[in-house]
Amino acid sequence: MPSKPEDIMKGFKLNWMNLRDADNGKVLWQSSDDLSIPEKEHEARVPKKILKCRAVSREINFSSKEPMDKFRLEQRVLFKGKCLEEWYFEFGFVIPGSTNTWQSLIEAAPESQMMPANVLNGNVVIETRFYDGDMVVSVSRVRIFYV
Amino acid sequence: MGLLSLLRKLRSHPDLELRILLLGLDNSGKTTLLKVLASEDITHITPTQGFNIKSVQSKGFKLNVWDIGGQRRIRPYWKNYFENTDLLIYVIDSSDRKRFEETGEELTELLEEEKLAGVPVLIFANKQDLLTAAKASDIAEGLNLNAIRDREWQIQACSAMSGEGVKEGVEWMTKTCNSRKK
Repeated sequence: MPSKPEDIMKGFKLNWMNLRDADNGKVLWQSSDDLSIPEKEHEARVPKKILKCRAVSREINFSSKEPMDKFRLEQRVLFKGKCLEEWYFEFGFVIPGSTNTWQSLIEAAPESQMMPANVLNGNVVIETRFYDGDMVVSVSRVRIFYV
Repeated sequence: MGLLSLLRKLRSHPDLELRILLLGLDNSGKTTLLKVLASEDITHITPTQGFNIKSVQSKGFKLNVWDIGGQRRIRPYWKNYFENTDLLIYVIDSSDRKRFEETGEELTELLEEEKLAGVPVLIFANKQDLLTAAKASDIAEGLNLNAIRDREWQIQACSAMSGEGVKEGVEWMTKTCNSRKK
């Protein structure tokens, strides 16, 4: 018996998110507890030096009470609402009562193409949308401030 | 190490996307190994209650490494993650002699899975830093690995904790993946 949409949504929780310098695996930013509150735009204060990293990884951790068969996510990095980068990822099956992590790693644009911190500051949003098939399970938005 | 350098080494694989599956009993060290591959800190690792995935992308080539929890409760779900696997890494705690039989049974079942037919397997005889660890050659004999004839396989002694032997395993992985033609 597949689970009901409302049960899937109720049983889904985004636990945390972090950003790392992918060269040495060091965490540059980790979310606070409030990330799990849906419908809220969260804020991340990230050290400016992240813009100098050759590669950055984004990691998310989530739990699901219910099993899901066609779990997937779409993650976008938006600058003033315009999409700079996107990832589509198909997980497929999600184990009932599981806690899972997904980390994506991408090389940075060459430094010459990189926008400076003061231009990016407060204008970058990481949007992660979780789906089971076509059904939206959860949406998370994190606005990035470079400090 | 680092995942980008791993990806670069694997780039001559004929596919544009590569899927590596990491399995083994609970507490064998799968997540630690995954973190070592990504040059991450390994001091705060807890039992995996689901999966950990690392996705790397560079110049149109993608690598996805799937680490699935090994607890008894979770093992029945492993089969949901077999499809399209290019390489299987099976991790064994070389010091957990009481469960050699159990880990051997799980490995045998995996090798009989239709969806994993022909998929090369790298067996990490992990935790070699422990005094009680069995030698990789003894584990190979105990599990009768020499009977594997339907795929490429390798057993590699390692310690995810100290990093010893991990590089050699990665070399076998890249060599095997890159020589496979689909």
